[in-house]
Amino acid sequence: MTAAIEIQDLVKVYRGGIRAVDGVSLDVREREIFGFLGPNGAGKSTTIKCVIGLLRPTSGRILINGTDVRHSAKLVKRMLGYASQETAIDDRLTGWQNLFLQGRFFHLTRKEIAERGEEVLHLCGLWERRSDSAGTYSGGMLKRLDIAAALIHQPRVLFLDEPTLGLDVQTRKVIWDYIRKLRTEQNMAIFLTTHYMEEADELCDRLAIIDRGKIMATDTPGALKAQIGGDIVTVRFVAAEDKVSRLLAAISTLPGTASVTTMAEGIQRIVAHQRGDELIPQIFALAAEHNVAVESIRLHRPSLDDVYLHFTGREMRDEQGSREDLRRNRMTRRRMQR
Amino acid sequence: MTLLSDTWYVAWRELVIFVRTPVRIIMTVIQPLIWLGLMGNMMQGMMKGPGIGQLLGTGNYLTFMTPGIILMTVLFGGAFSGMSIVWDRRTGYLEKLLAAPISRAAIPFGKALAAAIQAGVQILIIVLIAVALGVQFATGVLGLIVILLIAMCFSLILSSLSLSLAARIKTPETLMAIVNFLTMPLMFASTALFPKEAMPTWLADVATYNPVTYAVTAIRHLTVTGWDWQAIASSLGILAGLTLAVLLLSRYLFQRATAE
Repeated sequence: MTAAIEIQDLVKVYRGGIRAVDGVSLDVREREIFGFLGPNGAGKSTTIKCVIGLLRPTSGRILINGTDVRHSAKLVKRMLGYASQETAIDDRLTGWQNLFLQGRFFHLTRKEIAERGEEVLHLCGLWERRSDSAGTYSGGMLKRLDIAAALIHQPRVLFLDEPTLGLDVQTRKVIWDYIRKLRTEQNMAIFLTTHYMEEADELCDRLAIIDRGKIMATDTPGALKAQIGGDIVTVRFVAAEDKVSRLLAAISTLPGTASVTTMAEGIQRIVAHQRGDELIPQIFALAAEHNVAVESIRLHRPSLDDVYLHFTGREMRDEQGSREDLRRNRMTRRRMQR
Repeated sequence: MTLLSDTWYVAWRELVIFVRTPVRIIMTVIQPLIWLGLMGNMMQGMMKGPGIGQLLGTGNYLTFMTPGIILMTVLFGGAFSGMSIVWDRRTGYLEKLLAAPISRAAIPFGKALAAAIQAGVQILIIVLIAVALGVQFATGVLGLIVILLIAMCFSLILSSLSLSLAARIKTPETLMAIVNFLTMPLMFASTALFPKEAMPTWLADVATYNPVTYAVTAIRHLTVTGWDWQAIASSLGILAGLTLAVLLLSRYLFQRATAE
């Protein structure tokens, strides 16, 4: 069976010398929802842009259903649907006009557009509102229409770049249901990026975590969580730095401790081999011994958040990217909040 | 030919937006009305001066000015068409177009075509207003068709230039600044509003090489003097060459700017 997407050793170096993607390899199977996670500036968007033909890879190979992107760009584009995080719906046109244009840009006939347009509008629940200006749609409706437009030419692979960016919790659930429905009804692979771990956990069959242009892990959410190991104890100590670091050295030698990581603002993340509740009394005992006060302590089961942090390290990232990218991002958030 | 159909649907979008924005349509009528009515009347007083009629080639300043107003409308309309690219880039629509299997050249071509069609509509309105105010076109209906063609050609030039700039310039503020900087001198260093004979020598020299002058000269001949084939043909030749050049430039820039 050929993979829906096959990326081999993809490298993209921008003109300024920035190595945005540094040897990425992954494959997405047919009918799979595949999540692509990573901090801002990790190389997510660059990878997607290389796959959908907006950027030319520096090296590496990208195959869509076994067809090389580099050799048959237009053929490959017809197999791909792309809904960007900006929700590229023209507010000044009606819902139907937006779909019609999209169909035309994929060289469908009028008849095909009429048939497919009706189908995808029913699918996204906007058939009754098709003649209204898209300017009157809510953020969730715009997103659904945008995804519907990406489906009009019956792509084999659908790319969703942060499909729920800026949407409220209720609307987010509606979009999730919609994406699940697509998978069962439309017989395609879905490749999505997101910053919400909960979303990745809910939706994705498998996911890849990328950081600094390299794939850090690829597996099912369950397997990734198991890989992290046992419980996680998050603790905050109050004491001079050298005292804390001596304490941390002692904690890391405990037989129950798997790893100790210092996060932002003096928060320590201690991963247990198995049971974190047994580790807590020992941490307190050591803290007392080192004359360090414990300000707060918390025990939790590993979530996808922990998997993500385990592979990408630092808890906070400064927004990267150009000023124009930031403006676009802010505009998207504003637009979705209606 | 998918390039033609792609170009048409890029233009179709702009035209639907134009039609759906009543304020824009009303403004396209009001603006030339103000220019012709107000300025034409104001300057009519100047015509009392001796020899001025001879300088302008007509005793009616409005007749002299109408071609200028036509050019001015086309100039400003076309020059700002690059804004739609900047806007499309920000809303993500440009990316969506690039992800579709269309010819990339269709993006600037379509937007330039839409600008030219809008310019055509505006010029028809200006001509109607001018006729109502008593301007007589020397070459009649046939001449008007040629005037329309020249003006739309000029619109293609201006909008393609503006779109080419927008292929590189990412922020609306920068594009506005550059376009504003270019359009005013283009307008006033031409024979659109004043005859070359009334200009200081250096300005007249600049005006000679200004493309606006070529367009306005041809239109003015058709409006004031009649079928002066030599003047019309040389203007048309230069405009056609320029049009081709800027279309190719925009095609080149759009194919490159997006294939890093």
